[in-house]
Amino acid sequence: MLENLQSLIPPFDWQQVVVDPWSKSQWVETMWVTGMGVMVAWACGLVGCFLILRRMAMVGDAVSHTILPGLVVAFLISGSRSGWVMFVGAVVAGVFTIWFIELIHSRSLIKQDAAIGICFSALFALGVLLVSRYANQVDLDQDCVLYGEIGQIYWSPTVAGMPEPAFSMAIILVLVLVLLAAFYRRLLVTTFDPGLARSLGIGTTRYHYGLMTVLALVVVAAFKAVGAIMVVAMLIVPGATAYLLSKRLPMMLALTLVHGLLGSVIGFHLGQWLNCSTGAAMVTAGVGLFFITWLATRITRMIQRQKSRRHHDVMDDDHTAFTRPERSEPDPHPVRGATR
Amino acid sequence: MTRTMKRNGWKPILRMRTLSWALLMLVVFCVVVPSAHAARPAEFVENDAWDQLMRFLSLRDQGVRLVLGGSLLLGLGCGVLGSFMVVRKLALAGDVLAHGVLPGVVLGFLWNLTKDPLHLFIGAVVSGMLSMAVVTILKRTTKLKQDAILGIVLSGFFAIGTCLLTMVFGLEAGDKAGLDHFMFGQAAALDHLDIRAMSWVTGVSLLIVALLYPKFLLLSFDEGFASSLGLPVRMLHQLMMLLLTFSVVVALQAVGVVLVSAMLVTPAASAYLLTKRFHIMLAWAAGFGMLSGSVGALLSFLGSGLPTGPLMVLTASVIFTIVFCFSPQQGIVIKHFRHVNRRRRVVLENLLKAVYHAAERQEFGENGMTLLDLAKVKRQTLETIQHDVDGLVRRGLATLSHDGDVLYLTTAGMSRAAQLVRNHRLWELYLTNAADYAADHVHEDAERIEHILGEATVRDLERRLDFPSVDPHGSPIPALSAKS
Amino acid sequence: MIKKTETVETGSLPLELHDLTVAYHSKPVIYGIDVEVPAGKLVGIVGPNGAGKSTLLKAVMGVLKPTAGWVKIFGEDAKNNLRRIGYVPQRESVDWDFPVTVMDVVLMGRYGKLKWFGWPSKADRELARECLEKVAMLPYADRQIANLSGGQQQRVFLARALAQEADLYLMDEPFAGVDAATERAIITLLHEMRDAGKTILVVHHDLPTAENYFDMLLLLNMRLIGFGPTKEMFTQENLQKTYGGRLTILSEIAEAMGREG
Repeated sequence: MLENLQSLIPPFDWQQVVVDPWSKSQWVETMWVTGMGVMVAWACGLVGCFLILRRMAMVGDAVSHTILPGLVVAFLISGSRSGWVMFVGAVVAGVFTIWFIELIHSRSLIKQDAAIGICFSALFALGVLLVSRYANQVDLDQDCVLYGEIGQIYWSPTVAGMPEPAFSMAIILVLVLVLLAAFYRRLLVTTFDPGLARSLGIGTTRYHYGLMTVLALVVVAAFKAVGAIMVVAMLIVPGATAYLLSKRLPMMLALTLVHGLLGSVIGFHLGQWLNCSTGAAMVTAGVGLFFITWLATRITRMIQRQKSRRHHDVMDDDHTAFTRPERSEPDPHPVRGATR
Repeated sequence: MTRTMKRNGWKPILRMRTLSWALLMLVVFCVVVPSAHAARPAEFVENDAWDQLMRFLSLRDQGVRLVLGGSLLLGLGCGVLGSFMVVRKLALAGDVLAHGVLPGVVLGFLWNLTKDPLHLFIGAVVSGMLSMAVVTILKRTTKLKQDAILGIVLSGFFAIGTCLLTMVFGLEAGDKAGLDHFMFGQAAALDHLDIRAMSWVTGVSLLIVALLYPKFLLLSFDEGFASSLGLPVRMLHQLMMLLLTFSVVVALQAVGVVLVSAMLVTPAASAYLLTKRFHIMLAWAAGFGMLSGSVGALLSFLGSGLPTGPLMVLTASVIFTIVFCFSPQQGIVIKHFRHVNRRRRVVLENLLKAVYHAAERQEFGENGMTLLDLAKVKRQTLETIQHDVDGLVRRGLATLSHDGDVLYLTTAGMSRAAQLVRNHRLWELYLTNAADYAADHVHEDAERIEHILGEATVRDLERRLDFPSVDPHGSPIPALSAKS
Repeated sequence: MIKKTETVETGSLPLELHDLTVAYHSKPVIYGIDVEVPAGKLVGIVGPNGAGKSTLLKAVMGVLKPTAGWVKIFGEDAKNNLRRIGYVPQRESVDWDFPVTVMDVVLMGRYGKLKWFGWPSKADRELARECLEKVAMLPYADRQIANLSGGQQQRVFLARALAQEADLYLMDEPFAGVDAATERAIITLLHEMRDAGKTILVVHHDLPTAENYFDMLLLLNMRLIGFGPTKEMFTQENLQKTYGGRLTILSEIAEAMGREG
């Protein structure tokens, strides 16, 4: 197998992988692809920070799967390939999913995790079937669904001098930044202490739905770039990496941006080298950065411990992965009204 | 949701929900039916859908037998292991595992550049267990919460696997045709070797589950107690995860990486709604799994080349919907009807009581009561009263005079009315005497209780209160065999 | 029906703790506990919330590894003598929607005695039935556990513990959320078990009843405030030390360590 693996991985030619893409003939295309990657990572990462803090990462995953049928149905109903129509379809599908999950979870003994699993796989399966059936009529095919097509964005029709996907993404990114700036403090309070927020008169449900809507928008954009399965990576990984390193929210947001930038650029070059899907490469690079960060924090902690010679942690070892008792804080953001 | 319900009443919400379920089933139907009748050129001579169906069911073709065999096997394994996941609330962990096998599968392929089941299997198992280990490590060593960790590992492993996969597609050599089926599944691609491997693996998994069933059950139900008994809880958990990986691998080719977790969760969730005994749940889950698998394979067969994974998952989801709506204990449609019936019964019984009270005031001389009086007493419109009275008449509890103005209770109606009044007054007495309620507080409670007291309870009450004849307000309590 | 405990080996107490310390993320939860529990006693463990009562039980069973100190059960390491311990966890520790019946749960008490690939035998089932009868739950043997009241659930847990045929019992708040009749039944059963020679440790939340229920009291607030016969322990001074609101120096240190860690 090793020989096969070796034949799989092309030799690493610095010139070809790193320098050439930025050469005169290729740099525009490179710029658009990496730029798109950065914008997707930034928009998703910022929203994702709040998902992480609100413990809604898996809801993000569910939404990323369920927009697929939304996109297809929206197209089939409206007959137009316009991006904005599809956005609407996706948002509707996203909201529908959340409502669906809550229906199952609150009206039967099915627990939340199973409800999420059932819903999004059913809807995603439906979406995949529709795509297979109507592939030639919709602007999607199975490969796009799985891998995204960020590598091809340069060849899309242009709007205002930019490739169309990049244009939409830019608008969304600006929207995210503006909303974040405007509602920062209220988002912070509703995330950290919903009880306090309510007593201050800040409508927690409003922000919850607002966040969900922005999530749906962001997910649709990311979906086109990296495919349905890896959207959740774009949402969670930058924020999670930042979370490991920061103690305060502003720092976490800033580091998310750094991660987004590095991940996309490194990922692009990784894809160039390995000749694989660009979207997957960007996600892999992001995950690699997460791993390096994790390693670094572990090493630092070990060094610190050696220095101060404290009693070492004992409570970790004797529980299985999924049943170690977390500190018993009640979940402040159950998926809409969950009581079990 | 509840606030809305209280404000607008049940009807609009229920209508919306029934509508949305109907809509979902309609959409599914629209997808499934056209694909079944799709007269697309197939590998076989017969183009007609019916012939194709017959061909499938007659199991004449070896290919069909293989596909069916594979679907049944995967349904069985996924149903059984998935049940453990559902009751342990590890559905999402199963999802992570399912995505985590992808890098291993691709690396297994790289072994010989062929789709050798053994290599794929080993690769998948190693990769899957590794993903679980990463989850554990991250949980232990960082402040990240469970959901974020699952998301990272799931998409991370999947991304690495996708990189590898797309790299393999770029290769010149090797038979990669089979590999792209691993994403969404294609049961038709199963061959002898695959089926043989699947049988062995499923057989071994089920054997281990059977032998260790008590331990697995205890682990799932009460891990703390299990470890207090000295059971090797961690090892058992790892073993269960290993068996789960086996089920995932077995299902991989037919269902595809992306949707395998649905085959683990959905059939088991349907079973969960149907029974309160775990071993029966396992049986149902296996059954639903096998049913979804075979129907999905059949549909794919008919639709020539549609990926089997989504079809199997959709079948499982349809089954889930049916169970969710109609299961005897928990089906929401059933619950709704039961609730509606109960409310109707209460309304009618209150009507009976009103007539009884009126008759009682006249010392049971005149049996009848005009509808107009009844409407006045109940403070409702004549139309509502007439509608309800029809209900009484239909149930044989009352009759109307010729001109439809006067209501007479039948013997049955009278005795039921007496029963209700008795229950009410007995309960009031009980509350005042035994429970020390003030006499003016007891009416509301009794209003509700009177409709649901069973015979045994009533007799018990009477005994406790020493067969009383008057209630706290001084009204007489009808005797057990009262007819008037 | 309760089997009398086998003659206790001379010199080996049912439970011995020495300098037991358990920490959670560098923050001590219980600290330096020294206790020798004599056989055949009903011991109440009382203390405020967060005092580490459940942690103590888990450390005794070996579910949590101590940072310092040791635990001995009948003279041996807890790990080797687990078969002599019966555990009744808090009711919240379990998902009551789980599809099992009352009988299934009680049978689980026998699983510690099963061989590797074994299934419960007829004798096991008989014993389970007897245990259910002892707690007056036999009529409910086939009922799914979700359809039980709090008191009934607690009795099922007790029956399961009885089925373990242990000599040392650890119970975590068995009286929480239980109706008065069940509470009386439980305490009667516990006294019977004690009279048969069993040693029982009960984490208890209700101070007034503690005075009447238990032979000995263990007052815990992160460290051992006192351990001895109830009459001696139940003094104003001791209770003040256990439940007093002011942070002791030790708690302050614990907080500080938690912050740094």
